[in-house]
Amino acid sequence: MVFSSLLFLFLFLPAVLALYFISPWRIKNFVLFAASLVFYAWGEPVYIVIMLLSTVTDYGFGLLLGRPGLSAGKRKAVVALSIAVNLALLSYFKYADFLIGNLNALLGTDIPLTDLALPIGISFYTFQSMSYIIDVYRGTVKAQRNWLDFATFVSLFPQLVAGPIVQYSTVAEQLRNRKVTTELFAEGVRRFTIGLAKKVLLANNIGLLWDTISGTNPLMMPALMAWLGIVAFAFQIYFDFSGYSDMAIGLGLMFGFRFNENFNRPYTAQSITDFWRRWHISLSTWFRDYVYIPLGGNRRGLLMQLRNILIVWMLTGFWHGASWNFLLWGLYFGVLLIGEKMFLLKLLQRLPRWVRHVYALLLILIGWVFFAFEELPSIGQYLLAMAGSNGQPAWNDETLYLLYTNAILLVVLIIASMPKRQLRLADKMPILKLSWHFALLLLSIAYLVDATFNPFLYFRF
Amino acid sequence: MNKRTDRIYVAGFAVLLFAFSLLFLFTPKKAFSEMENRSLQKKPQLTWEKLLDKTFSEQTESFVTDHFPLRDQWVAVKSTMEQLRLQQENNGIYKGKDGFLFEQFAEPEPLDLAKFAEAVNKFAYKNPHANISFLLAPTSIGVYPERLPWLASAYPQSIVNGTIMEQVREHVRFINGFDFLKPAAEKKPDRDLYYRTDHHWTTYGAYLAYRAYAEQMGWPPMEESEFDIRTVTNSFLGSFHTRSQFNGLKPDSIQAYLPKNKVESEMYIFDDDTTVQGLYEDSYLAKKDKYSYFLGGVHALMTIKTELPTDDVDLDKLLVIKDSYAHSVLPFLAMHVPEIHVIDLRYYNGNISSYMKENDIKDVLLLFNTTTFSDGQEILKLGY
Repeated sequence: MVFSSLLFLFLFLPAVLALYFISPWRIKNFVLFAASLVFYAWGEPVYIVIMLLSTVTDYGFGLLLGRPGLSAGKRKAVVALSIAVNLALLSYFKYADFLIGNLNALLGTDIPLTDLALPIGISFYTFQSMSYIIDVYRGTVKAQRNWLDFATFVSLFPQLVAGPIVQYSTVAEQLRNRKVTTELFAEGVRRFTIGLAKKVLLANNIGLLWDTISGTNPLMMPALMAWLGIVAFAFQIYFDFSGYSDMAIGLGLMFGFRFNENFNRPYTAQSITDFWRRWHISLSTWFRDYVYIPLGGNRRGLLMQLRNILIVWMLTGFWHGASWNFLLWGLYFGVLLIGEKMFLLKLLQRLPRWVRHVYALLLILIGWVFFAFEELPSIGQYLLAMAGSNGQPAWNDETLYLLYTNAILLVVLIIASMPKRQLRLADKMPILKLSWHFALLLLSIAYLVDATFNPFLYFRF
Repeated sequence: MNKRTDRIYVAGFAVLLFAFSLLFLFTPKKAFSEMENRSLQKKPQLTWEKLLDKTFSEQTESFVTDHFPLRDQWVAVKSTMEQLRLQQENNGIYKGKDGFLFEQFAEPEPLDLAKFAEAVNKFAYKNPHANISFLLAPTSIGVYPERLPWLASAYPQSIVNGTIMEQVREHVRFINGFDFLKPAAEKKPDRDLYYRTDHHWTTYGAYLAYRAYAEQMGWPPMEESEFDIRTVTNSFLGSFHTRSQFNGLKPDSIQAYLPKNKVESEMYIFDDDTTVQGLYEDSYLAKKDKYSYFLGGVHALMTIKTELPTDDVDLDKLLVIKDSYAHSVLPFLAMHVPEIHVIDLRYYNGNISSYMKENDIKDVLLLFNTTTFSDGQEILKLGY
């Protein structure tokens, strides 16, 4: 199930909210767990077994680690085993076919592909489980004795399928002790509404522009159209993803959970280093805490630090998908970050603010080309189109048509990406803010209904 | 935010969710959507099998969206918003000049086109003694590209028609719709060749197609003055309107060309074994799908028998293999041919060559529009 559907909004959510609030405190986690299973099983009736399996084993490993008197060697073995199980699950479903495909191409072998569909959310819940086990091992959190509480943490439907990656330490206390107040719930409604509008009104509509442009042959594409396309993609992916995070955070609030922020106006970044502090924060934090720092971080000299940065960013890229372009994308940012660490940041500090901003945006946009196309030749062709080196004119009628029919949307997207300035008027007149949020909610519903509007076009023959 | 405002947020959200939830659950469900012209999803039945292969969840989602309260009004709100933000398209339909709506037309895959043309050639090859004509009509976007929204462009259908002509003209007698529609559009720009809100041609457009075919067959075409041209409805909002839901459109009118020298025709429809008097179905004029006034809509196979004075008979039997563009052309053909067989490839699954043998048919007209022809896998059935 996805949040941006009528089924979720008008059947699932009201039913779960009603059940949750009439239930006594001691079964509230059970209600959430059961609801999460339905939510997950809705799209993945079979793969739910895998999620439960991962939950049960990590619960067990956690208990083992929590036992007093376990020797250091055994504790290490338990952690290693848990990580191995999680990574094995993830690799088998996400990376096996990539590996087989490349092996076949390289060695001329003919190993059959597994052709498995990727279980929804597996990249997220395996990472959450690993964070738990490592934290218990490090002693930063206590092992969870209550299986239901642990299962609720892993399967919690607001963040189950697309993050943010909630670390166990963030919600450990809330699993036992949380309260939903009017303020919290109202804030949840606002966050959810904003997220829904980002996804349905902004991301989906600018996505149509990207669909049109990415469907055009890049060898025939004017430069302006290529730039318009990648800008559209940049907006689509940001508003889609951060909209989903907002909805997750908002839903969490409605049930009394406070998740960490996942985005912080990434397109206002002044450098690539800055960008990665603002983009998909829960993922970068995860890699920092569980890969970069254990590898030695910046404490073992410059050379080791550079190696660590490269490893982390290749993994980050690879986490996004089992394909060479994602590895390249990660590597691209790894190299840029190293450059900034070595000298670029110092240089940038001397330049005016707007130059730094343009520098960051340009590099981010070029990065999205690596992300958007799985086929490596397409990446090259698209970059050539952006550089105006494919022998096409700078623009054509179609470019101008796409530009003016999306001009208003683009302006809205730019404003929505800028730093949030509190409107004093809205604070003095809460009715304005209230109308704004409900207008967004109603408009989003209209777009959701239209997306399923499906006239039978009787005319084909 | 003060506490009172927060309470309104909570209450407003809850009321909205629960109100639509209850409205959905307890209002009676329609079986058919007039606006979308299709049957709506029935309440899904829960079985283990359907649960595991996800059909239950898919059907439930369709069930909710198909029967969502105030569905048509929500769709209209979205369409209005899209127009307010200067978007010139909605759901794949352009809002063009002079109240014309257009369906987008992208460059067809050359290999597909070649395959479709090859199917036509195979058909000719399998029926070497048949006299086959192939009329390929552009759609409105092909004839009126200048009426597209500012700076919008479509792939020229004249190129598509030209390509197909090159590939088939040695095997069939090709009539290019551009040859008679384009001059007519230039000579009398005020007479609409196509409906503004629908994808079909007007009866005038169909009349010109008939003239072109008659001339090619060597028949004396009837003049417009020989018809009593009657407007049968003024409130036709067609398929382009259905899809785009643009507001503020002027409805189209539909004309019927009724011959002053009356003839009696009857249609025998094989699909449901019925015989209908006349070539028009008045009841459709009261519905959304008004173009089905012609011949009563789409049938897989039917015959049209017309009592003609012997002098007027130019051909004994004709087979028309067609899309719905033919529906408004067939009444004209019936003025020359007493027995017309009509096959719609999408629904007809028999072997056409053997059908021709069984019924001793020597003359065939293939009539398609460029959009149907260039994305219709059904055309391939011709080659079977």
